[in-house]
Amino acid sequence: MTEKMSGARATVEALEREKVDYIFGMPGGANLPLYDALWDSKIKHILVRHEQLAAHMADAYGRVSRKAGVCSATSGPGATNLITGIATAYADSSPMVAITGQVAKAMTGRNAFQETDVIGIATPVTKYTLQPLSAAEVPFAVKEAFYLATTGRPGPVLLDLPKDVQQEEAEMTFPESVTVRAYRPNVPVDPQDIERAAAMIVKAERPILWGGGGVRIADAAQPFGALAELLMAPVITTLQGKGDFPENHPLSLGPIGMHGRAEANKLVSECDLLVAVGVRFSDRSTGNFGEFAPGAKIIHIDADPTEFNKNKAVDLSILGDANVVMGMLFDAVAKRITKSKDLNNNPWLKRVNDVREELKGIPAYKDSYADLSGPRIVKRLRDVLPPEAILTTGVGRHQMWCEIHYQVLRPRTWITSTGLGTMGFGLPAAVGAKFAAPDVPVVDFDGDGSFVMTEQALATAVEEKLPIISVILNDRSLGMVEQWQRLMYNRHYIGIKFPNTPDFVKLAEAYGAHAKTVGSLDEFAKAMREGLRMDGPTVIEVPVSPLDDVFPFLPPGKGIKDTVYGSSKEMAIF
Amino acid sequence: MTRSSKVLSTLVENKPGTLFRVIHLVRLMRLNIEGLTLGVTNGGADCRMTMTLSGDDAAVEHVARQLMKVIDILEAHTYGPEEVTARELALVKINTDKISVAEIQRNTGCRIVDSSKHSVVAEIVGSAKEIDEFVQRLGESNVLDIARTGVAALPKETTSR
Ligand SMILES: Cc1ncc(C[n+]2csc(CCOP(=O)(O)OP(=O)(O)O)c2C)c(N)n1
Repeated sequence: MTEKMSGARATVEALEREKVDYIFGMPGGANLPLYDALWDSKIKHILVRHEQLAAHMADAYGRVSRKAGVCSATSGPGATNLITGIATAYADSSPMVAITGQVAKAMTGRNAFQETDVIGIATPVTKYTLQPLSAAEVPFAVKEAFYLATTGRPGPVLLDLPKDVQQEEAEMTFPESVTVRAYRPNVPVDPQDIERAAAMIVKAERPILWGGGGVRIADAAQPFGALAELLMAPVITTLQGKGDFPENHPLSLGPIGMHGRAEANKLVSECDLLVAVGVRFSDRSTGNFGEFAPGAKIIHIDADPTEFNKNKAVDLSILGDANVVMGMLFDAVAKRITKSKDLNNNPWLKRVNDVREELKGIPAYKDSYADLSGPRIVKRLRDVLPPEAILTTGVGRHQMWCEIHYQVLRPRTWITSTGLGTMGFGLPAAVGAKFAAPDVPVVDFDGDGSFVMTEQALATAVEEKLPIISVILNDRSLGMVEQWQRLMYNRHYIGIKFPNTPDFVKLAEAYGAHAKTVGSLDEFAKAMREGLRMDGPTVIEVPVSPLDDVFPFLPPGKGIKDTVYGSSKEMAIF
Repeated sequence: MTRSSKVLSTLVENKPGTLFRVIHLVRLMRLNIEGLTLGVTNGGADCRMTMTLSGDDAAVEHVARQLMKVIDILEAHTYGPEEVTARELALVKINTDKISVAEIQRNTGCRIVDSSKHSVVAEIVGSAKEIDEFVQRLGESNVLDIARTGVAALPKETTSR
């Protein structure tokens, strides 16, 4: 059955068929037909004050809900403002459809008002770009955009709609599905790979399971955790993979990486088998590739075959959806393990516990920090928040303290920009997460530098009465960079101090948010509890010292075994 | 780092923009494109692109593997020069004031595809090396202009993939 309507109307109709609830965006000349078509739609438009925020909101919405988040912008500056947010989503494989208006086809290439080649700009930071050239193509393009964004390894897809295509009327057919010939996201898992992997796993004496963002994306936490428990194998994660496995579980060692947990960074060099699931061997996780897990056989499980052997050669790669692969692997291993391992006599677990004991006293873990310091605030935050609460972050030391000290207990409750490391992600991500999970507390844990990059998201949060909380660690500095300048650039502090940081309470109140500065951990906990009961956003400013450095620290380019656990004094060796 | 010329052969869907997507990765890995041929195949559904790339060998391999992430790409392979049958076509405009057409043909066995008062256009097909040699034999001073297509290549049967 066909129906005559405009390209813009067809876009909205197709979005409704994709069960889109929200569009985060801002209108302008080139997408006005689209906005007009939203007039009587069930889809709710969430107005932002800057398009980058719309992209971060859609990104976080996608990470929490599993659906593609949708953002929209007009042509030219609207479209270019989206780019940082799109690139952030691409780096973390987040499902997103970004819809941009474009000048009418006849104006293309004439340097028309607000014409930019957004497809040219976005191609390297998107999974795909689409530009329908007639209205009748629109329903197919929308279907394809959602199909590509959400299947296989997810990612952002850009849909660029020339204004005349939005305005043109056509008889529309809405496809139930589309295929893209060269794209095969669901390759069946090779059972021989599973057998090979199972054989390697049961032979291993010192196995470690390593989870990344792919475990969350594939909803594979259940079989992933089950295999760890079956093997009694310790679990490490990437920074993105926090929450793949409950971090309060006795087998959890926490994340590895530049600011990973000391025991995780240490033990990964000692394992004889590393089962890497949905990770991409990012240099931030592994340190120097050659020195990573030198004595281990590595099994790599991923949905994206181009990740295999990209950064680190592995012994076995298994292509497939992590949930499917881990389920099959669990069965295959369970069949081979005839009796359960003697736990009391397991030298690997004994070694794990010895390392834990040995590292307990490192300065980073001793509460030698001041009362109001990153590590302590983060730990108190965990006490105040229920297990299902979602935490988003900015980028900087505050994020790294969460990496080390905040235990993520469930998948999809840790939303942070790791691949691109985009400052300003935290607050708009909290807004997007709250729309995706309205019944769950959502907290943005932020730095003063990151927060001001996208603080305008407060306006949206106030309008939408979102009871989210932004915790700002105010060190009046770009703390992470300050740490690098202190430890690696002879204390040449340049371009990092904020002598004129805003009064965050006044700033928040000016937007209509609740706000408070706290002077102790107890005050902080109290303010958090109050914030959780509010009917709109709360900003909690916590003044902290700029001199607290984040440890452990794996200096860039070094092997993971060279992680510095303790203090700035140890850094002198580098 | 080993540097050499490699052939990158890709089969892509025949759609606007696919060359652009391929070139992005080639540029990212700082490779130089020395030859590029491109033609529609498989009844118009696909397009085969053959690139001769010079630069770090590992970077060429990286491009070939990472290209499979690009949605429209069906196949991407790299070959060393010895692994492929490669041909290039060149049109060479020759000044006939000092060298006669008969002499040209006797010397080179090329085909003359156009002739004017003071010049002819010769067509030659062969390996890149054969074309270089052809130009040398003519004497560079007699050559007014050259248009080369770049290499089209197919793997030899013995090349297992
Ligand atoms: C958009 C962007 N610009 C610059 C950087 C480089 N950078 C990384 S961390 C950091 C400092 C972050 O400061 P703040 O948000 O106050 O957090 P803190 O480190 O003080 O906790 C900077 C500038 C970045 N990651 N993102």
